[in-house]
Amino acid sequence: MIGFLSPLWLLAALAAGVPLILHLLRRRTGAAIEFPAARWLARAEREHSRSLRLRNLLLMLLRVFAVLLLALAAARPVARLPGAGHAPTAIAIVLDNSLSASAVVNGRPVLDDLKARALAVVRRAGTGDRLWLVTADGAVQGGTAGAVGAAIARATPLAGAGSVAQAVRAAAALAAAAPEEAHELAIVTDAQASAWPHRISLGGVRVSVYSPDAPPPKDHAVVLAAAEPPLWTPRGAIHLRVRSADSVSYRITLGARTLARGIAGPGGDAVVHAAPPERGWVSGTVELEPDELRGDDVRHFALWLGPPPAVRVDSSAGIFARDAVAALEHAGRVAAGNDVVISAADAAPFAEQFAEPHSKPHPEPYPEPYPEPYPALLLAPQPPVRIGAANRTLEKAGIPWRFGPARHGTNPVTGGPRADVTLRYLLLPAAGAAPAETLATVAGEPWVVRGRGYVLVASPLIPTATDLPLRAAFLPWLAEMITQELSPAGRAYEVSPGARLARPAGVDALESPSGSRASVSGDSLDAPPVPGVYWLLRAGARAGAVVVNAEPGESDLARLDASALEGRIAAKSVIVTTDAASFDAAAFAAGSRRPIGAWLLALALAMLVAEAVASSARPAEAA
Amino acid sequence: MPLHSSRPDLLDPAELASLAGIDVIARFIVDGFLSGLHRSPRKGFSAQFAEHRPYQPGDEPRMLDWKIAARSDRLVVKQFEEETNLRATILLDVSRSMAWTGDKSRLTKLAYAERLAAAIALLLLRQRDAVGLVRFDAEVRSSVPPRARRGQWKRIVAALSEPGAGKATRAGAAFTQAGRLVPRRGLIILISDLLVESEEVLGPVRALRGMGHQVVVLQVLDPSERDLSGRAGEALFVDPESALAVPASVADVRAAYHETVATALAEWREQLAAAGATYEMVSTDAPFGVPLRRAFAARQRMP
Repeated sequence: MIGFLSPLWLLAALAAGVPLILHLLRRRTGAAIEFPAARWLARAEREHSRSLRLRNLLLMLLRVFAVLLLALAAARPVARLPGAGHAPTAIAIVLDNSLSASAVVNGRPVLDDLKARALAVVRRAGTGDRLWLVTADGAVQGGTAGAVGAAIARATPLAGAGSVAQAVRAAAALAAAAPEEAHELAIVTDAQASAWPHRISLGGVRVSVYSPDAPPPKDHAVVLAAAEPPLWTPRGAIHLRVRSADSVSYRITLGARTLARGIAGPGGDAVVHAAPPERGWVSGTVELEPDELRGDDVRHFALWLGPPPAVRVDSSAGIFARDAVAALEHAGRVAAGNDVVISAADAAPFAEQFAEPHSKPHPEPYPEPYPEPYPALLLAPQPPVRIGAANRTLEKAGIPWRFGPARHGTNPVTGGPRADVTLRYLLLPAAGAAPAETLATVAGEPWVVRGRGYVLVASPLIPTATDLPLRAAFLPWLAEMITQELSPAGRAYEVSPGARLARPAGVDALESPSGSRASVSGDSLDAPPVPGVYWLLRAGARAGAVVVNAEPGESDLARLDASALEGRIAAKSVIVTTDAASFDAAAFAAGSRRPIGAWLLALALAMLVAEAVASSARPAEAA
Repeated sequence: MPLHSSRPDLLDPAELASLAGIDVIARFIVDGFLSGLHRSPRKGFSAQFAEHRPYQPGDEPRMLDWKIAARSDRLVVKQFEEETNLRATILLDVSRSMAWTGDKSRLTKLAYAERLAAAIALLLLRQRDAVGLVRFDAEVRSSVPPRARRGQWKRIVAALSEPGAGKATRAGAAFTQAGRLVPRRGLIILISDLLVESEEVLGPVRALRGMGHQVVVLQVLDPSERDLSGRAGEALFVDPESALAVPASVADVRAAYHETVATALAEWREQLAAAGATYEMVSTDAPFGVPLRRAFAARQRMP
């Protein structure tokens, strides 16, 4: 294939029409000249008409080809020349080893096909080439062809989607920054549509993409397995959802036993209620029968089982909070006691509680010893004059928030319960405060924030400040705050393999499903690459869980066709093929394209010489 | 080339023609030509006896040499040097095609032919031959009957000075006229570019030969007509006489044209020879001495 570096010069090829037109119009051009011997001229043309015609045709063709060749040469053509090898090339190979590539098609994992194509590219590399392998999880392996080839051979499918787009961008950056003459990107992917959601701009590299042409297999998958609520006191439900074209049987395990079995309809949800006898943090799975994509047939979840928290409502919290807690107590969701305090921030009982940390052993299954002050749901004081006292109490308790100026005006709550807020106080973070989590905002400003052992609300729970106490959402919201946000049991974080999450406060180790422990430090920790339930440990006790599952979207195996995939990539040139031979040939194509303008100029010169010879030759000789 | 340092019959025609009028130039040419022969073409000026020849029917009885008849019983006729036996007619083609030159520095074919005709006439008159002139194109435009007397030269020169180069060539009428002007055997000299159909010339030539005339055909051509020299590029070549228009690229057809002209000239030579005529191609850049020598040689073959 021929490419052109200055394709606009191809317009000069239109000049090739000039000799053609002159040839066709020759009989009508030229000035009239008096010539008495015209009869001999006519006789000469008549007697030599055949040779003259052939000669004129030959001359015309030579002139047309000469002009065409000159125009082509001016357009700076480059082309692959047989036997010319290729120029030193920086080529980055992106191997899409995401979970979807582990699907078995025609008895063979798709990843094996992709690896074969990647290895074919490596085999064509010369000593002057620079190679990298970038996998879907962003891992980069550079070096010699041998090292990269070995890395390809070692590559295994990820447990999740990874990020093919980020891997492609990183690979393009590597290739583009290399000093070699040609920069290429060879992508081998199963073209899963969810992996290519947007158009990717890759600059000046040349991209060749291989994707298998076989259709994806039928797949069923568990795309949701969640304990609701995450902390059972001690009852709850397992919410599961399967992606399947047909009804599929599932099994729910809890710990080492089977909790339930059932059949889920196509694309349907199932909710299994239970009140298991286990206590503390327990892991579980939702499992389907194995199919061509094994990685999404099992989904993990974690839940905490224990007695309902004991709650004490201070009178400063108002009658709405008191009545709501009474209703929850009646439903068995909470009990009376001192595990959790609901109070206005300025209330004396709260201050005392924080000032004198709880010293008695906490009942199981809470971590022992319990290092935190009693959890508290703190509300803004009802009288505005108590704001100062509330701030002093917060300071004394070590809570890094202060109430600021009052904000009046009705605004809806965002990110929290459905309610309107009429009066609130601006929450100001204290200098040097520990990171806190904003649970709800009003007008873009924090309204409910959560920190270590506290939840702080910027309004009093009275109808003149917010209509939340009057709404149906109030009771569930209050239950969630008490049993989930303020629970000393900790939380379960569901993440994708390898994802990064903020390290929960106090957590110092991570326990794998096999029981091995790894210490963690810093502000964040990386989720393990293998799906499962990993326990967050605080002083050796379980203080939450990291649940690693594949992204639900990875179970959607729908693929982009070649043209659609080509449309998702913006680069200097993009070749998307499902043909292995074409892909193999496309690799290093940029480096093997050499300028051929000089050849064309030489050919044009030869044409002009031939034209000169033919012009001066006798007609009989030219013919 | 300076005139005094060379024979005028060998000078460049255009250079020579620029010196004077037709009559003067003709004298230059003939004088130069005769000096080159190194002998007089004339057999004498006086009425001296020259030789006997056998009597032929038609000879005047008074010319018989009765003494020889008495002695030997043979009838012979006495010939005298001053006798004028030859009647020559020059047929000059003054058609439009003759008024053409491919190069302004050269004479047109007609100008060349007029000077050549004048020189031939003067040469013949100096031999006491009777010389006439017929100018023709599509018809006979003027004719001077053959005479050998004094003043004939001036008449011929005057006729040559008349305007010509009018219409198309039609040689047949001119030949017929020549046949009428020369009832006895004589010399017919046709000066033309022969850009006509061959039968227009060959038929009358055969007729004249049948009448016993010696026919000399001098074909006058411009060098450009022979090889398309001086031309380039695309052009529409128009015959001024027939309006035949031929579009051609000179570069493309030059070689083919050259070949065709050579063939055409060879055909003329062959056909005229077959008809019994003497043919010579004359190029307008050739000195006048060349065709003059040809005409003189033809005259010398006459009795």
